Amino acid sequence: MSQEQSKQDVKPMKIDDILQRDVWDVDLEPHITVDSSKCEKCPTKPCLYLCPAGCYVLAGNKVVFSYEGCVECGTCRVICPMNAITWHYPKSGKGIMFRFT
Amino acid sequence: MRIVLGIKWVPNTQAVRFDPKTGTLIREGVPSIVNPHDLDATEFALKLKDKFGGRITAITMAPPAAIMGLQHVIGMGVDDGILASDRAFAGADTLATSYVLAKVIERIGDVDLVVFGQETIDSSTAHIGAQVASWLKLPYVYYVEELVDYDESKKEIVFRRKLEDREEVYKVKLPAVISVAMHSQKPRPVRMSYKIRAKLENPIQVWTNKDMGLDPRCIGLKGSPTIVAGITWTPEVPRKKQVFKGDPKEAVKWLIEKLKEEGVLPF
Amino acid sequence: MDVKNKWDIIIVGAGPAGSAAGYTLAKKGFDVLILERGRQPGYKELFGGRVYAEPLKKIYGNELSGAPIHRWVKKEKLSFVDGNKLVSLEYQSDTSTSFTTYLPQLAKWMADKASEAGALLVEEVTVDRILYKDGKVVGVGSGPDEAYADLVIDAEGVNRLLLEGLGLVEKLKPEQVAIGAKETIKLGEDKINERFGLSKGEGMAWLLMGSITDYIPGGAFVYTNKDSVSIGLVLHLGHAIKEVKEHISQMVEKLRLHPQLRNLWIDGDIMEYGGHLTPEAGPAMMPKKLALNGLLITGDAGGLLLNVGYTIRGVDFAAYTGYLAAEAAIEAHEKGGFTESNLSVYEKKLRDSFVYKDLTRLTGMQDLYSDAKMFKALPKLAVGTASRVFEIGLETPGIWNSFTQARKEAGFGLFSLAWKGYKLMKKM
Repeated sequence: MSQEQSKQDVKPMKIDDILQRDVWDVDLEPHITVDSSKCEKCPTKPCLYLCPAGCYVLAGNKVVFSYEGCVECGTCRVICPMNAITWHYPKSGKGIMFRFT
Repeated sequence: MRIVLGIKWVPNTQAVRFDPKTGTLIREGVPSIVNPHDLDATEFALKLKDKFGGRITAITMAPPAAIMGLQHVIGMGVDDGILASDRAFAGADTLATSYVLAKVIERIGDVDLVVFGQETIDSSTAHIGAQVASWLKLPYVYYVEELVDYDESKKEIVFRRKLEDREEVYKVKLPAVISVAMHSQKPRPVRMSYKIRAKLENPIQVWTNKDMGLDPRCIGLKGSPTIVAGITWTPEVPRKKQVFKGDPKEAVKWLIEKLKEEGVLPF
Repeated sequence: MDVKNKWDIIIVGAGPAGSAAGYTLAKKGFDVLILERGRQPGYKELFGGRVYAEPLKKIYGNELSGAPIHRWVKKEKLSFVDGNKLVSLEYQSDTSTSFTTYLPQLAKWMADKASEAGALLVEEVTVDRILYKDGKVVGVGSGPDEAYADLVIDAEGVNRLLLEGLGLVEKLKPEQVAIGAKETIKLGEDKINERFGLSKGEGMAWLLMGSITDYIPGGAFVYTNKDSVSIGLVLHLGHAIKEVKEHISQMVEKLRLHPQLRNLWIDGDIMEYGGHLTPEAGPAMMPKKLALNGLLITGDAGGLLLNVGYTIRGVDFAAYTGYLAAEAAIEAHEKGGFTESNLSVYEKKLRDSFVYKDLTRLTGMQDLYSDAKMFKALPKLAVGTASRVFEIGLETPGIWNSFTQARKEAGFGLFSLAWKGYKLMKKM
């Protein structure tokens, strides 16, 4: 339960806070795997900007990926210049549950 | 082994938000799910069936929408389901609910093992397993994590359970009631063939109070002695919001220092 | 326990395409299984906010009045944005051909219609492969299980992993798709009516371009739902991959907090946020064949979505292609079976329909529209002219003068502007 929304004033909300509005049934196993050794050599890392759920973040100079907040759009797979991403549909009913989109 | 599995169809509490302006819960569009801890129980029951054969019947007391929950566990491999559903059951607390469930189990008959989840995410009482065992006068083992042994001829089963500081092993004579420790299992996914069967053959019976003929003093609001005296909200603790950017190794060192300063880490 | 595993027709995906196909086929008496990976139809779906009604009327007739329609769009707005200034063109009408809704609600309604017609809808099943044997598609697989059918209709959506697995299409390229990200903001019905100047049941569709997407080709949108607004962005990935400078969620937040827009919804509560890919390339994204032995391809999976900037037609195109696939299946069945040659009537139906005509006629427009230079210059020209005309110091500026200055500042030659304008008009 979030008590964040009163702070929805003129400051932009961070992606982590915006995602509090969404609902998932998270699978125990990830539906996306990233070969992070390839990320180290990636010059542009567009996933950091274009994954709408912010699943890819930079820690130091490493790309850290988490699948839990994924909205299953498939963008990362399409844009990854290194072909580092293996992407499946989540299993049986798991993953994002859009209601008002 | 003849197994009855108790499940609850609950609002996904992760999706329920609190509106600080009105002090109420925002429930619009909140999807319902099978109580996640009941999926541990489902997995536990399915493992028993995988090993010893038999039949699993899932039961629940709820409005008709809970059929989707029964279909979900049938999709995982449960054989059939019974929905106890009647306006007369509405407004029940855990006592009245457990009474109805106990009567459902009695009516099924010849049950070896009744399996519940540890607790539900929408009320967290952990009452139902113990209360059903009490109504049925059966032994009850809770926080079960693992099957150790089963002697079919003697109808004796051995479970391991974990507590904070120790492990315990229980030998129980069947029939018995257990609750399965939350997060102790890895619930299997729904399978296409099972889910097709759930929708196509709909192996779910609906039992109303006309079928069950239960004493009206023991069910619904009348059978519920629990009174909700009030609800208060935990105040939000202001965060210090300190962010350390840079090398993760340095960040961890910094974090440990900070936690020591705050007295969170004792050493 | 033996479960039935053979059907006349299996449909993969209970989105607009799959459910429209399922509804049409089940009504004809076919034994139809629809498999949906979401726990409920619609849970995996996201669109801008508006559906054109006419194709749906062709499928559902009067039953469409029972659909979860939020508002009928009677106000259209198009804005060029440059920084904190914007120039808008508004069209108002007392008639309407499109409505706003939440796609998860509409998809649920369409899936229920298919069920009511007799299709078996099974949720929570992720199909992970299409079964191909002896030169034809024979069914689908999910984990350890397989289900067989004389015909499979692929309505899996834009990512089309199943078609890729079958070797029918290559992996999507950034140039073929756009990413859409949106927020739904709860506002209340009365506030929406007051702030957008709408009567009960009337809606507005608003498209914005320019600095609102950081001049990345695509655009921003605002749709009024019953008691909420949907706001968001679409970015062509081919451009975005090179030009994006900040996280896309923060670009949506900038739209929400834009000084000229925010008062419309600032006191609202964000109910949901999400993202989805949308086909952009038109015929270039279509598989070589849409009908094969035992297989038909519909909706986004077939690249059958139209986006010409001011008009985006996805849901109605998807539903209509699902409907055409069903009609084709019915004809193929009458001719003796679901062979490629019998099913090829689907491609003919598509070519004869508005879907293919629009796609081939209008898709070239995207090239012009997504011409990055043009995309930046047009909003600058419009806003630059307007700000010179309307922001008056002492002297009242002339319109032509203002236009010329703005045109030069935007980097347009008079001739090239006229030529581009001509090409654009001709395409439209």
